[in-house]
Amino acid sequence: MGPVPLRSVLRAGAAGGFVLIFLSLVGLIGRFADLNLVGEQVTLGRVLLFLPPFGAAFLVARPRVVAGERLAAGPGAGAGAGAVTGVVTSALFGAAVAFADWFDVARIRQVFVAASPAVIEFVTFERGVAVGVLILLGLGVVAGALGGLARTGQRRVTGALAAGAFTAILMGLLQRIVPVAMQELGIDPDFLYSGRTRSLTWGGGVGLFVLAGGANVLWHRSGQETREKVRATMAQEPAARTGILVVLLAVLVILPVLLGSVISQVLGSVMVFVLLGLGLNIVVGYAGLLDLGYVAFYAFGAYMMALLTGATLNTTTGSAAPAFSMDLNFYFAIWIVVVLAAGMGLLIGAPVLRLRGDYLAIVTLGLGEIVRVLAESRWLQPVVGGPQGMRGVTNAAIGDYGFRQPQHFYYLALAFVVLAVFVSWRLSASRIGRAWNAMREDEQVANAMGVSTTKYKLLAFAMGGAVGSLGGALFAVQIGSLTPASFQILVSITALAVVILGGLGSLPGVVAGALVLIGLPGLLREFEEFRLLIYGAVLVAIMVLRPQGLLPNVRRMRELHEEEAAQDEWVRRFAEGADEAAAVGALPGGPLGVEQEDLT
Amino acid sequence: MSVDEPHLLELRNVAKHFGGLYALSGLDMHVDRGEIVSVIGPNGAGKSTMFNVVTGLYGPDEGDVLFDGQSIVRFAPNQITRMGIGRTFQTVHLFPNMTVLENAMVGQHSRSRSGVFGAIFRPPGTRREEERIRQRAKESLEFFGSRLAGYRQEQPAFSLSYANRRRLEMARALATDPLLLLLDEPTAGMNPRETIELRDHIVRMRDERGLTVLVIEHDMRVVKGVSDRVIALDYGRKIAEGTYEDVANDPQVIEAYLGTKAAG
Repeated sequence: MGPVPLRSVLRAGAAGGFVLIFLSLVGLIGRFADLNLVGEQVTLGRVLLFLPPFGAAFLVARPRVVAGERLAAGPGAGAGAGAVTGVVTSALFGAAVAFADWFDVARIRQVFVAASPAVIEFVTFERGVAVGVLILLGLGVVAGALGGLARTGQRRVTGALAAGAFTAILMGLLQRIVPVAMQELGIDPDFLYSGRTRSLTWGGGVGLFVLAGGANVLWHRSGQETREKVRATMAQEPAARTGILVVLLAVLVILPVLLGSVISQVLGSVMVFVLLGLGLNIVVGYAGLLDLGYVAFYAFGAYMMALLTGATLNTTTGSAAPAFSMDLNFYFAIWIVVVLAAGMGLLIGAPVLRLRGDYLAIVTLGLGEIVRVLAESRWLQPVVGGPQGMRGVTNAAIGDYGFRQPQHFYYLALAFVVLAVFVSWRLSASRIGRAWNAMREDEQVANAMGVSTTKYKLLAFAMGGAVGSLGGALFAVQIGSLTPASFQILVSITALAVVILGGLGSLPGVVAGALVLIGLPGLLREFEEFRLLIYGAVLVAIMVLRPQGLLPNVRRMRELHEEEAAQDEWVRRFAEGADEAAAVGALPGGPLGVEQEDLT
Repeated sequence: MSVDEPHLLELRNVAKHFGGLYALSGLDMHVDRGEIVSVIGPNGAGKSTMFNVVTGLYGPDEGDVLFDGQSIVRFAPNQITRMGIGRTFQTVHLFPNMTVLENAMVGQHSRSRSGVFGAIFRPPGTRREEERIRQRAKESLEFFGSRLAGYRQEQPAFSLSYANRRRLEMARALATDPLLLLLDEPTAGMNPRETIELRDHIVRMRDERGLTVLVIEHDMRVVKGVSDRVIALDYGRKIAEGTYEDVANDPQVIEAYLGTKAAG
């Protein structure tokens, strides 16, 4: 197997097997057994059966560094090692299936409720356990060999195939969304999607595969030069960037018209979390202050908006007026909310100024909980309604045009997202952003270079709080009623996950993070029950594979490229340094250049 | 210099201890305008502690620090920087993920003032200020000739060579527009050629920029080449002061160094 050690083959194979067993036991495989992606043959369940041996083999065939030398397996060795890995995976899984069948699935089911005879039937391809396990072994060989090839084969070919497969599967998954959008656009989706299986037709699937693969080939064939040119234009021509921005905005504006109200609702929630993410990004991404209680600003924004716009308390007998209430117009109230939230940022920031890192995280975690507990408390019940909460928040209507309806809310939220993105961008590209950056990198040194760390920490909490409260205020408008249950600690964690997933300090990253973590689960309702499981898996995968996030901050991305250049430079200079050392011998004062006799 | 004019920097009976360890005890010293003063002494003599007390990172346990006649012991480091004391660190402390130019621009922070409003709306005043910050930072970088010029300014600081990191740290301190510059072992880790180059830079800082320089230095060739006056510390006290020749021949100084060598 050449450069691939047997131990890693066995280890990766076993890991793949356990992943398969896990997926079956938690019910993912059974749940998606009948979710057709392409025709009736490619189901998500089958893709899930295929992926673990494929992935394990892909990992095994990676290039290794042995004693400073990079050893990459050739396609033959890669496929071979992959096939063995795949067999180990499917053998382990097959053994588990056989055991489950012999032991009686019903008894396993008492612990793992998702394990059912139907799952056994599905994973054995409805041919009985003996034949089924043989088929599984065959699948393991094929998937493993393909996984090995995917790592060791010609980059152009594997890249194109991967792009094609990924596109086909993604479009298959979006079977509820894309056909609806096509119909809205007046395109008959029948040529892509079948009404009977609900999935892509075979023609459509293969077509998409070829299209995406071809596009990938073209992109790579057009060569480094064109890509460099595109990148340079993007970086240097303000007109090109403005153009792209305009197109992007236009797409965002027509999106809800195309997508219908269900998806608009999801996008509305995405935008609320984009606002939360943008605010938290200022605190964590720019200033480097780890805030785990960010939900405090979300709750504050929501309740303040309710109080300022005449919402009433929910009681057992109906509704009651709160102890404090105003009946302001939304467009006036929102600015009051923002200013008050900035003030609250200062209040939360002041006591934690001296804390750093873990300590700061723990204290803010507590502060976040305090806000929820206060909202639930008997003490504040006359103001915010206690556990029963409030209802009748303004719908921010302009004339008769209310913003509670999902498509309308989308526009309201979009306006504030654009505003928050603009403010974040301008802040980051200013003297303030520079001071935050310096403070994040080294607080003491920033202080010694003239940056008042007290002032800039407080400013980060205030600005972050103000932006985050926008998210809360809009959430109140979207839902119309509030209960403390909406302000669990999970909100803080999700907002942080959004920022980290996208890439700390990156504005497109926040949007991408919110789309993945809020949008995808909203769109793929089938995944709802596995939502937290997938969250965890995605976060672990990101941290291991791409710690800088999905769309990292431009500066950090550039750094990652330049690191190689810097290393080359270093090596070159090192070589020069050798000459320099030789030249030094000729310097007056001897090789050390120090006139030591002065002191001794 | 008239007798009435206060010293630019004066330490009066300064003491600083960490637990039972006296890093500084009863230290009196001063620096006058336009001087280049070197501080020497074996490891642990309290040289860097003295810098940290002057720049406000530590408060002294006893005594007073006067800058231009005014006591500065109660001020925060950023305020002291604003008053006109710039510094570098014994171990290089840059902002590694910021570009070289941005590192120097941070130095100008206390010489600029635009806030949230300016950042968001970018009125002409803010644009001008930002341009001024950039110019000033570039000037500071160009003090070191081609070492930190051109494409290097857009590279992240971590990609610099060791000697260039040291230079960048000095450029960042220059960008704070100081009256007094504190350099903590600027030639540590530099090769002989770079050391000679740096010796000239220190002299140029005074001659071209009119700075007063207080430098901690181990390389005696540099100390000899730049100093108007040399102060030797040991165990947190001043053991000798005067011209290079006086101090280098002082029996106490020789003993302090020999003692260190024997222990090492």
